[in-house]
Amino acid sequence: MTVDRVLGVCAVLTAIPVAAAAWGFGVGNPKSPGAGFWPLTIVVAMVGLGGWLIVHPSRDGAAVGAPESRWGRLWVALGTMAFYVAALERLGFPLATALLLLAQLRWVEGRPWRSSAGIAVLATLISFVLFRVLLKVPLPAGVVPLPRGW
Amino acid sequence: MDTIGSLVHGLAVALTPGNLLAVLVGSIIGTVIGVLPGLGPTASIALLLPVTIGMDMVPALIMLAGIYYGAMYGGSTTSILVNIPGEAASVVTCIDGYRMAREGRAGAALGMSAFGSFIGGTVSVVAVMLISPFLAETALKFGAPEMFALLFFAFTCIGGLTGKSRGRGLLMACVGLLLGTIGTDDIQGVDRFVFGTLYLRDGIGLVPLAMGLFGMGEILYNIEKRETAGSVLETPKGLLPTLQDWKDATWPMLRGSVLGFGIGVLPGGMPAVASLLSYAVEKRVAKRPERFGRGAIEGVAGPETANNAATAGGFVPLLTLGIPTNSVLALMLAAMMLHGVTPGPLLLLKWPDVFWGVIASMYIGNAMLLVLNLPMIGLFVQILKVPYAILSPLIVMFVLLGAYALNNSVTDVLATILFGIAGYLMKRLNIEPAPLVLAFVLGPMLENNLSKALIMARGDALPFFFGRPISATLLTLAILVLLYPLVRAGWRLAATGRLARR
Repeated sequence: MTVDRVLGVCAVLTAIPVAAAAWGFGVGNPKSPGAGFWPLTIVVAMVGLGGWLIVHPSRDGAAVGAPESRWGRLWVALGTMAFYVAALERLGFPLATALLLLAQLRWVEGRPWRSSAGIAVLATLISFVLFRVLLKVPLPAGVVPLPRGW
Repeated sequence: MDTIGSLVHGLAVALTPGNLLAVLVGSIIGTVIGVLPGLGPTASIALLLPVTIGMDMVPALIMLAGIYYGAMYGGSTTSILVNIPGEAASVVTCIDGYRMAREGRAGAALGMSAFGSFIGGTVSVVAVMLISPFLAETALKFGAPEMFALLFFAFTCIGGLTGKSRGRGLLMACVGLLLGTIGTDDIQGVDRFVFGTLYLRDGIGLVPLAMGLFGMGEILYNIEKRETAGSVLETPKGLLPTLQDWKDATWPMLRGSVLGFGIGVLPGGMPAVASLLSYAVEKRVAKRPERFGRGAIEGVAGPETANNAATAGGFVPLLTLGIPTNSVLALMLAAMMLHGVTPGPLLLLKWPDVFWGVIASMYIGNAMLLVLNLPMIGLFVQILKVPYAILSPLIVMFVLLGAYALNNSVTDVLATILFGIAGYLMKRLNIEPAPLVLAFVLGPMLENNLSKALIMARGDALPFFFGRPISATLLTLAILVLLYPLVRAGWRLAATGRLARR
């Protein structure tokens, strides 16, 4: 199935609940449009374009295909990012950032342990200086005690 | 104040030590970003937006503008040396630039590319300076119907110029418009599509959206499908082009300047479009077109001039009308808004320091890039040797920290990752994210002006819109742009029919 057809079907399917919600906001009238008028207008355009793509997909040959061989690394990368979201405020910026970098360098990029650890610590220190010291971003300290006044 | 007087004022603003440093830092960061394959100017500006929050308004904008045109300078380096474009606008430079490098003329190609970028950028900045005040004065007379018509025209151009499929581009633009409706409605105060969450009541932030779709999406794509350069990198020698090179490249550079500026001013006018068109024009007007693809210096000079001219040209509609013509300029708009500046006709009156300071900084930046770039090519070659396996995790960290720094909120980090997954999928499926981001920015303005115009029309919308000369012209143009594919298909059908009958 071509990308255009998949997009067209998705557009039409998405349009149904969005249109219902837009109707609920109040459509108003041409003299005084309501909050739902604009979303409903967009949905109408989406249905039209979706239908057009289903009937006339472009000829660039783009098709929904299978992923490449590094698919597993992609999942690991996403996993480390999810960990970062969960850990940033709990563990604090220094520890969470160093662990994110270590995991990415070691398991996503396949770098040796020693260089991964070195780069992770160094990059965490540099980012700390840039964001916390120079740009005064209040990054969470978490479990690692930061120097007083930082 | 006349234009020259205003420019002198702008130079006084741009030449303060802090702003000069911002030009230098922006230009160098931009060039490095352009040199590194896989991280374009859109992603980079999205990543650096949070960093500029802590800066003063004028140096922040000067730095971001420097990143944009600096990336155009740097993008050609990888195209010429390793046959991998640093960013989209340098794709065509690969064709003749890499061929020149293989023939031992990398220095001449890089030199001509730098001179072309300088000429294109400078000619375009002069045009921006001359046209902008006039356009801003005209735009002051625009009411809601004219603004709606102008925005609608810009919107119709987005789908056609930014992707292979017009329908796909327009559909993505609709998704962008829909995302732009999330949050509390400005006019009625109704919460739309917020699903009971506090985060969505303020609407989706442009920075997490852009950082995710462009920056994170690009990184995830590169993790899965990494391209490696096969060339052995050596610092090229002899960077000054010969007299014959100058003779061959003078007209392509002049044509590229005019063409690039014209494309840059148009809605959807990406520098990549300008460089592609310039290459096509040069090939068509060349006395010996067979030289193209075999190391013709015109194939480097024209496109490199055009993409830099388009970069500066895009600032005309942004600064005078508040309309970004491409995704990078949409982020510049976001940066201005983050600093409390509203781009548009009033920018010249209310914030002359911003307007003329940014314009003057472009002159300085272009000159700086020419002086710095040629001696620094050896350094850029060294940067190209840094393994992407080290750069990629560092960029991920920078994106996530940048997202957090926006509002000190983990939700922004999560939103960036989610948009990153969407960006990755779009890249895999060959869907251009630029129309989505542009429509996301234009959407609220479009809705606001439409609502005001409809209230003004008191129920007679069509006679009202088409009874006003400017809105009638712009709406007619928009309709023509929308109908053009159908008309073209009709012509093709008719031509096929005629051929079959013969």
